[in-house]
Amino acid sequence: MSEFEEWAGATYRQSNIEVDPSDLALIELIYAGTIHQLEALDHIDLEKFPAVGIDLRHAPKPS
Amino acid sequence: MSHPQDWTLRQQAEAVRRGDLSARELLDATIARIIERDPSINSTPVVFEATNREELNPVPPGPLHGVPITVKDMFALPWRAARNGTSFDLIPASASGPYRNLRDSGVVIVGIANQHELGIGTTGTESAYGRMGNPWNPVHCSGGSSGGSAAAVSARLVAGSLGSDSGGSTRLPASYCGVVGLKLTYGAVPYDGYFGAATTFSAPGVLARDGGDARMLAAALLQRPLAQQSGSGLRVGIIRDPFWSDVDPEVAAAGERALGAAGWHVHEVRLDHLELASAAFLSRLIAETGVPPNDVLATLSRPTRSLLLAGMLAPARFIPRADRVRAAVRESLAKAFQSADFLCWPTTPAPAPTLDDPRVSLPSGSAFADLSNVRQTLLANLTGVPGISIPIGLHSSKLPIGLHLLAPWGGEARLLDAAEHLERVTDRAFVDLVPPLAR
Repeated sequence: MSEFEEWAGATYRQSNIEVDPSDLALIELIYAGTIHQLEALDHIDLEKFPAVGIDLRHAPKPS
Repeated sequence: MSHPQDWTLRQQAEAVRRGDLSARELLDATIARIIERDPSINSTPVVFEATNREELNPVPPGPLHGVPITVKDMFALPWRAARNGTSFDLIPASASGPYRNLRDSGVVIVGIANQHELGIGTTGTESAYGRMGNPWNPVHCSGGSSGGSAAAVSARLVAGSLGSDSGGSTRLPASYCGVVGLKLTYGAVPYDGYFGAATTFSAPGVLARDGGDARMLAAALLQRPLAQQSGSGLRVGIIRDPFWSDVDPEVAAAGERALGAAGWHVHEVRLDHLELASAAFLSRLIAETGVPPNDVLATLSRPTRSLLLAGMLAPARFIPRADRVRAAVRESLAKAFQSADFLCWPTTPAPAPTLDDPRVSLPSGSAFADLSNVRQTLLANLTGVPGISIPIGLHSSKLPIGLHLLAPWGGEARLLDAAEHLERVTDRAFVDLVPPLAR
């Protein structure tokens, strides 16, 4: 069993989620792709991206 | 006399109002059309024949009195739970907010529109009701997740359908099936009884055969008039890369021709932080989607199940950063709208792929349709703005092509003005195209 399978399996068990072991290879592939894409967010300059309130129903208020 | 489902939604409403056709006759003709024509596309797996007979009389005499439409499986109805493309009653039977608005305009819900399971997919290849075919070629995808809505409208089973859109799910199938698909501004209608209430991306949408019908149905859904204005002389902002550059060359050429025909003032715009939009979208979406109970999970297709299970493993540290990016992209979009009435690019980067192999060929290489489709449409969901897909002709594969427009928050009427303007200047050449299944 790979490290990913051990970790993912333990996480699912802790959450009482039943997972077919044959799904784990595809889950690992999707997970790797997801993390690769999300890591772009690790590199943003927080000074340039201030935390502001969002109201999706309306245009943002002029800053 | 032609079949009433070959008429527009507006013509059906007018015929019932004038008494040329009773609501009962219209419903009977619609059910017969669905039974006759739907088997090859599986757009409308549930038909409410008995319920409608009882519903006809109590329905208020609104502008759409007696006009049958279908409703995506994401909305609870008083007599039917929302199943979201699964075999489980996930939201109990109740009068959902969008249903109430439509009911008060007088529509008759004739059936449930098929959809990609849990709304997680843009092809329609996975559903507890079975996969959905495209009326232009049933071995090709109808799109998703509101694929049953788009296919039913395209095939002339109904003239309108209620869909939803969390990442393009109204606009993408509209493009694949050659109909108009309008995603509303986020939060513009009550969300109770609607799966979209669980995310900050989803909005109901309407599918219809032309801009006039989409306007009528959207006004009913929004419970406010969408006044018609001229759609000529509008300022169009285009973002070349990747929305125009990484698409099938025939699709891009059709889009350019449509813009030329419309005579709009076209200029290129730059959208700061666009390169981070998909990461911000993905981060929040997987956090909001979660994982369903084990009994539901076990029945899902392997791709959907694996996507959900992979998503729950993603670290939460990305979420606050995603929200910062989301705010910055919204700011950038609002600035773009200072010089453009709407932004525009092709809705889907290629025509509908086959159900058996839902991949598309793009200048950047072969891609899963889901990934390249959502790239074209997620901006509206990330920011909350309305968007529309309008038909602009056929690809050499004889499958439809759609043009995608985004307007500022609350700008649904502007999008419809643009759609109707394009219909006028092209003599309805695109909206009146009839798929082989409906000939």
